[in-house]
Amino acid sequence: MNCQQVQALIHAHHDGELDAANTLQVDQHLTDCPQCFGLARNLGTLRVLLRDDALRFRAPAESRRKIQATLADTMRAGRDATRGPLAWWHIGLAAVALIAVFFAFQFWPSRSDERLLAELTSSHVRSLMAAHLTDVASGDQHTVKPWFEGKLDFAPTVKDLRESGFPLLGGRLDYLAARPVAALVYSRQKHLINLFVWPAARPGPDTTPHAAERNGYHLIQWSSQGLTYWAVSDLNEKELMDFARVLSGA
Amino acid sequence: MDHDINDQFEQLVLPHLDAGFNLARWLTGNDSDAHDVTQDACLRALKFFSGFRGGNVRAWFLTIVRHTTWTWLRRERGHREEMEFDEELHGGEDFSTNPEMVLMRKADIEAVRQAIETLPPEFREVLILRELEDCTYKEIAGIAGIPVGTVMSRLSRARRQLQTALATHPHPGSHP
Repeated sequence: MNCQQVQALIHAHHDGELDAANTLQVDQHLTDCPQCFGLARNLGTLRVLLRDDALRFRAPAESRRKIQATLADTMRAGRDATRGPLAWWHIGLAAVALIAVFFAFQFWPSRSDERLLAELTSSHVRSLMAAHLTDVASGDQHTVKPWFEGKLDFAPTVKDLRESGFPLLGGRLDYLAARPVAALVYSRQKHLINLFVWPAARPGPDTTPHAAERNGYHLIQWSSQGLTYWAVSDLNEKELMDFARVLSGA
Repeated sequence: MDHDINDQFEQLVLPHLDAGFNLARWLTGNDSDAHDVTQDACLRALKFFSGFRGGNVRAWFLTIVRHTTWTWLRRERGHREEMEFDEELHGGEDFSTNPEMVLMRKADIEAVRQAIETLPPEFREVLILRELEDCTYKEIAGIAGIPVGTVMSRLSRARRQLQTALATHPHPGSHP
């Protein structure tokens, strides 16, 4: 082989793509020809540089997690979709699933609920820290309720619960779930309760109070007459639930 | 049955997620787009997996990733069809010069990365598949949908461009 023939094959040789006979001939030429040997050596040097692990990208953990979650969703959806022709029992199953999802959303915190829990908790904490607990400080529901007029697009129900052991301290405007909301402040001995009220995003049936917890704070949610209520406090769950029951009438 | 297919997909295809991401990342140039493309490719792979008749899963998956990436490049970057790619414009073989390659220090890996990034994507993908993913010419030809001869010529030109770029790169840390 001459230099021209060898140089035409040198990449294939370098990549182990040549058959045995050609490999042997190129090898032979390289031991005899310094110029072609220099080309081969440069290819080797380049390979060492390129095989550096730092050049190889790996899917970041977050990216991998998202992809696997998306695949899992698609697999789950695909399992129901690929089971032969649509039969009545499919529709029944879908209806049951829809109802289950509906109820699940009612009672289980979804991801947006997670965000809301965080917002509620930090709003509660902020109200205690910033010396801005109330805009209107009054234990009189007939003072607090009218104060909200013209400040909100709904009329929150304001009840003093002094007789049940939860005296009303006042109210303020707050901003939660991307909208202005009413915050009513109650106390229980040394503990403070923020009661956040706003209209439900979608009209739905009244729900009874259910509890959640975040960073050591208790949160209780219920709906009544188109309004969503969230009570947030460091009060123990049982007493906070008593408060919610008295208010919701449940 | 469906469970089996999903399990098989996870066992056979997902181990090559990094290889797919690596190719998409080198072609798109950033993590976020590489993620979108890889995820899209995974969904396509899942869709077509029941039609996969065995063989080289990695090459099969990389073919889908590559196709998805090029579809994306054409749509988002207006990159022209790679089959119209004029190889002659990007320089023929030239053995009249043979820049001396020297081993660089670790710190110079950034120079190598930049040199790869300046390659036309048609060269870059062949180089990445060969040098980083250790694919054979035949696998690369299948993945990129080009003849083996084109794989060889693109590869040799890619290497030559890199050698030229890296040999002229000032690298005080290298030893002669």
